[in-house]
Amino acid sequence: MRDVYVLGAGQSSFGSFPEETYLTLFDDAFDAALDSVDGEFDPGEIEEAYLGTLGVGGRQIGLSGPAVTEHLGLHGVPTTRVENACAASGFAFRQAVTAVKSGVVDVALAGGYEVMTDASSDHTRWWLGVSGETEWERTSGTTFAGVYAQMASAHMDEYGTTAEDLSRVAVKNHANGAKNPKAHLGFECSLEDAVSAPSVADPLNLYHCCPTTDGASAAIVVSEEVAREASDAAVQVAGAGAASGRVGLFQRESLTSVPASVTAGESAYEQAGIAPDDLDFAEVHDCFAIAELLAYEDLGFCERGEAGRLLREGVTDPDGELPVNTSGGLKSKGHPIGATGTGQIVEAFKQLRGEAYVQVDDPKYGLTHNVGGSGGGVTVHVLERGEFA
Amino acid sequence: MRGIAAAGAYVPRFRLTTDELAEAWGTSHASGIERKAVPAADEDALTMAVEAAERALSSDAVDRDDLTLAAVATTTTPAEEGELLPRLARALDLPRSVATATVGGHTAAGAEALSRALDAEGPALVVAADCPAGEPAEGDHPLGAGAAAFVVDDDAPATVTGTAWYTEETPGVRFRERGGEEVASLDVTTYQRNAIREAVTEAVSSLPVDPADADAASVHQPDGRFPYRATADLPVSNGAVAAGTVVDRIGDAGAATVPLGLLAALDADDTGSDEGDAESAGTSIAAFFGGGTAAAVAVGGGLAVEGIDDLEDGTTIDYASYLRERGYVVSGDVAGGGAHVSLPNWRRSLDQRYRLVAGVCPECGGVSFPPEGACQSCHSRIEFEEFEAPRTGTVRALTVIGQGGAPPEFAELQQRDGAYAVAIVELEAAAGRVRLPAQVTDADPADVDVGDEVRATVRRIYEQEGVPRYGVKFEPIESE
Ligand SMILES: [Zn+2]
Repeated sequence: MRDVYVLGAGQSSFGSFPEETYLTLFDDAFDAALDSVDGEFDPGEIEEAYLGTLGVGGRQIGLSGPAVTEHLGLHGVPTTRVENACAASGFAFRQAVTAVKSGVVDVALAGGYEVMTDASSDHTRWWLGVSGETEWERTSGTTFAGVYAQMASAHMDEYGTTAEDLSRVAVKNHANGAKNPKAHLGFECSLEDAVSAPSVADPLNLYHCCPTTDGASAAIVVSEEVAREASDAAVQVAGAGAASGRVGLFQRESLTSVPASVTAGESAYEQAGIAPDDLDFAEVHDCFAIAELLAYEDLGFCERGEAGRLLREGVTDPDGELPVNTSGGLKSKGHPIGATGTGQIVEAFKQLRGEAYVQVDDPKYGLTHNVGGSGGGVTVHVLERGEFA
Repeated sequence: MRGIAAAGAYVPRFRLTTDELAEAWGTSHASGIERKAVPAADEDALTMAVEAAERALSSDAVDRDDLTLAAVATTTTPAEEGELLPRLARALDLPRSVATATVGGHTAAGAEALSRALDAEGPALVVAADCPAGEPAEGDHPLGAGAAAFVVDDDAPATVTGTAWYTEETPGVRFRERGGEEVASLDVTTYQRNAIREAVTEAVSSLPVDPADADAASVHQPDGRFPYRATADLPVSNGAVAAGTVVDRIGDAGAATVPLGLLAALDADDTGSDEGDAESAGTSIAAFFGGGTAAAVAVGGGLAVEGIDDLEDGTTIDYASYLRERGYVVSGDVAGGGAHVSLPNWRRSLDQRYRLVAGVCPECGGVSFPPEGACQSCHSRIEFEEFEAPRTGTVRALTVIGQGGAPPEFAELQQRDGAYAVAIVELEAAAGRVRLPAQVTDADPADVDVGDEVRATVRRIYEQEGVPRYGVKFEPIESE
């Protein structure tokens, strides 16, 4: 198997752009990815594309992937649309990595897109609901927020986690996102604001939930040979872990953990030959505040039940031992479902090249963690600073 | 001789006081009614019937597998045409060969259903369940809700000693036009009162018992004063009428009022002694009237009625909540589409939704719910050994879906019932732990916590394309 590199990665602005289409948003992301390549690169070298989207709203429910690549002028390039809910582009990235690693292609495009804010709120809610477990969770009257809220209630009951612990995720991620010009909600919030926000699905309030976002993101995945030719500072994909889990929370062994995150994380660490201690930063899937806490525990950043303490002690602040979600995370940067996974790759790519808006000091290893639904599919990637020059 | 072998009563949790009603309208048309029962947004005649029947069938005196007939009396079938008894039979897990009878159209329907059961052979289930609606400014004022279930069998502790009928055209008394939701009456007061009194007198006088000997009489009771007037020409004591009157506490529950009054009488007459104690056994009379038909039933002896305390219990609500719960002020039209669970798929899961059927893995002994696909513990592809999980359990995880936050198909429920709690409930079965997500109903969501004990109940889940779907929800078990 060959080593695999990210040659370039970029995203459109994340936000509410009801007059944009998934095609125009992906144009922006693709341009940003091309711009990020430090050397010479011809998009005509792209041999294969994997694009993630849930397809909120039902627009172009079939063949939206080829529609994107044709729109970009990548005429004829075989394109596969990947659907794994909020982890769609985490899995699209994984597909691109696998294609290059196996030697099938030398250059693959990974990306994702979602347009959500142009539909009526009922219509949007219907679409979000359909990627939870439909037969039992949905028909019990829950929403996505509701299922994560159930996990939060169980975590609070088991470990004494508090609403304030959850709110610290919002405070931290908003502080980071406020410095990211491409963030959807680029403003700061105080702990007081975050704690006292109106309830969405108790115990989760508005500040414990990510927004409904439009956006696109893209990454150019290449072999070592191509990377060396086109760049002095490509970023290596050191570990690519992924796992599936039961789509319904009630069908899983634990209500306070996402088993697929644990498995995907272990596999990514093993491939990279590192331990969680070796990480310099992480972008984790904080669709709801509790998800960030679960990620800390599932990915081995701390022991079970200790996630609240990490936040209280500032361990995951930008100046802490392990900064998490320096981009602003899903909470502040935004969560355009299908674009989120490769959006995280964009931030890791920037960090490892020293180009992030909230830059951590001289990082070597970064992790991205992308969760579909409430844990039905998870990808974890470990990225490593490129060592050629 | 046939009689009542087991019985169950069910009255919805909410109550509206007539004082509150009078405050809202400046007057009230609910004479002799102190408070009335209010069906919650997820209740209807079917769910109330299931609950009352489940209570009756909890008695050791009857095995549901032996039932030969199931009859339901109601004036408020959830759909004007469509499933009622098949749903009841499925929810109660009755034999598929059970004979069915749905009786409606007037408030004496319970007598007709009871009569079918008395004529049948073998144990028969009779349920009267009703939640009539009326024009809110007046017709609605006395209307309540409730359900009474009887298991009729040979050699029962409460013996039916006689039935009698009297039928005469009596137009304009109480009726509902085709396609209408609201019961109406022309209120020709004296005519109406006289006609009903005459019919009740004729029917009761034809019973093979002396009405003067009745310890209790549950007489047609559209309001609290009417049963006394209706028996004015009979030698029935006021004390007996009082013992069989429940309308003062639950309102006019249509076809279910007289049956509930009879259950109250039978429960009061439960001496706790074994059969053969005819000396101490009292006599109860039920006098039904509906649509021109009067029917009288005499019962000797009594029995304990599961759920009869519901008559006294309840949570008081204000008038605005009342209008919402009953759907008087909610359109029910919701945009955006519904969850994609097809009706054939829903039907396929009825064993789970009604009876909590889970599966044990023969390989590892792990429990899966629903019992489909690979084992949720060891992930082997096996044939599950199915079992019915216990109907009580514990809340393990919980959320409250606030106003406006519900999926579109639950928006109407939310508009009517307010914020609702959704739990992951754990049922501790002998075979292991069964977990499922479900709404917590009949509870203020703010009062529900992880760790609370809950009990299964069948409710209306949502309606899509005109077809209501029913399934399990959980209600708190009051810890006292
Ligand atoms: Zn097993």
